Amino acid sequence: MLPDTLHKLPREERFAYARILAYMARVDNEITVDELAMFEQRIGTALLSPNQRDQLRRALKNPPTLEECLEGLGPESGPLALRDALLMATADGSIDDDELEVLEDISDHLGLAEDSIPKLVEWAKKGYRWMDEGIELLNSLQQG
Amino acid sequence: MFCDDVANLDASERSRYADLLVLIAAADGELVREEIQVLEGLMGRAMVHPEARTSIRKGLHDTHRLSNLLKNAEVQTLRFVLRDGALLAAADGDYDKREVTILKQIAKKAEVSNAELKEVFDWVSKGWEWHQSASSVLNLTAFKQNTPE
Repeated sequence: MLPDTLHKLPREERFAYARILAYMARVDNEITVDELAMFEQRIGTALLSPNQRDQLRRALKNPPTLEECLEGLGPESGPLALRDALLMATADGSIDDDELEVLEDISDHLGLAEDSIPKLVEWAKKGYRWMDEGIELLNSLQQG
Repeated sequence: MFCDDVANLDASERSRYADLLVLIAAADGELVREEIQVLEGLMGRAMVHPEARTSIRKGLHDTHRLSNLLKNAEVQTLRFVLRDGALLAAADGDYDKREVTILKQIAKKAEVSNAELKEVFDWVSKGWEWHQSASSVLNLTAFKQNTPE
């Protein structure tokens, strides 16, 4: 939805990034429509080939292990994957314990600071507020 | 980035939404990777069927369909297009005159004033600033992009 540096990464890293999101979508063993829409949005943003997108959709049904997903991440794709995995986790309104554990595992794997997750949660909350402002703006136009 | 009611529009309106975004993306005569990235993300979020996306992408080469797409469009669809079209037009760092012209034509059809359209542009700028603030949390030096003017 907003441009970032994801498209500048090598295709293999973008694929690894998207596999993390597929893994995240399945952590609680169910995928909501909102999670699926966000997943589709992120694999679109990653500019993956149609074939890779199909592979990723199949991964939603049969996800790889977290270790397999982490293997392909690089120094830039890793933090981006953590950021967007956190947004995926919050797509249904809250982060459950299993999701938090995975996020902490990713953060540990990347060697990020201990307070990275709480800081990202705060960042995500600001983003949801921004999105809500956009929806309120649209609603105000519709009343006009 | 976030989900909303776009995915709940019926399939024909979602196609129209994506077709109009393609027109906005192609308006300035060149399509940079940042615009394609945002466009593909928005089509994904709208849950446009993968096969439909293929034919919609072909519209990148046909920029003369605006009046047809505006005809019979639902106002709600057009307002989603305005919001997300402004995000898309900003993707390469600034708003091109031709992109703004198309957005204004859509705004007119959607009964949205220029002042209200300006509010949408302001909202886009805020979103860019928010999105980029993740870089300091994640220590990503390559993340910086200019807020659209």
